[in-house]
Amino acid sequence: MYQKSPTQEWTSNVVRYKKFSGSWAWLLHRVTGLGLTAYVLVHINTLASLQEGPEAFNAKMQVFMAPHWLFAAWILFGLVIYHTVNGIRIVIIDFGKGAKYHKQLLYGAVAIGLIVFLWMGYIMFFGHTDHDFLSHIVPFYN
Amino acid sequence: MSYKYIGSRGSGSMSWFLQRISGVVLVFVMVGHFILMHYNPEMGHSFDRVFERMQNPYYQMLQIAFVVLALYHGLQGVWNIYRDFKFPSWLNMTVLAILIVAGVGFGALGIANILHF
Repeated sequence: MYQKSPTQEWTSNVVRYKKFSGSWAWLLHRVTGLGLTAYVLVHINTLASLQEGPEAFNAKMQVFMAPHWLFAAWILFGLVIYHTVNGIRIVIIDFGKGAKYHKQLLYGAVAIGLIVFLWMGYIMFFGHTDHDFLSHIVPFYN
Repeated sequence: MSYKYIGSRGSGSMSWFLQRISGVVLVFVMVGHFILMHYNPEMGHSFDRVFERMQNPYYQMLQIAFVVLALYHGLQGVWNIYRDFKFPSWLNMTVLAILIVAGVGFGALGIANILHF
């Protein structure tokens, strides 16, 4: 009898697997979670330059203000916002009655996430800031 | 020690619960973090601004909680994914040890960054 190689087995499983919206949400949540965890470690490591004084820190931050790094930060924000809105969806499913309308929740979450993502892009690349307003609503804002 | 004796101690419901709770708290802290760091480039990327904020002990406490929660939520998440697959016991122990060491190590580094001010 014809025996599939492990690679063929894996490939045919992936192709046959039914990709419902819920399983896409689940898979993306895992992938973004892994990416964000890796980023948190790198982020903490980068911020260690705070301990080396103003020059070292400002020089490092200047590097990340370059357009391609800013773009990378925006994409990273995309991972964050997906993980956030889908995470809220998961909590609603687990603690509320969200399992009955989990698909609608996903569409809503993705729609809200996209709006926030585009808004954040606008702020990061062309934004101007209403400092007076923010200083009233955000703690520690200065 | 073989992992199977540790792995069967609990149902995992507590880590499920803590993952939800830490996630909800992180949503709120993240919103503040992004507004503070990105509403204009200088706020998150100049030493002076970071220094000013870090003079407030409550802000420092919030940042420490942020580091601890983010690391817990992230590494616990990695462990959740890992546990969906079946691996040999020695590898379970190794991965668990790496995650714990990474959590403690990066947690200490993050807290040191904050308490430096």
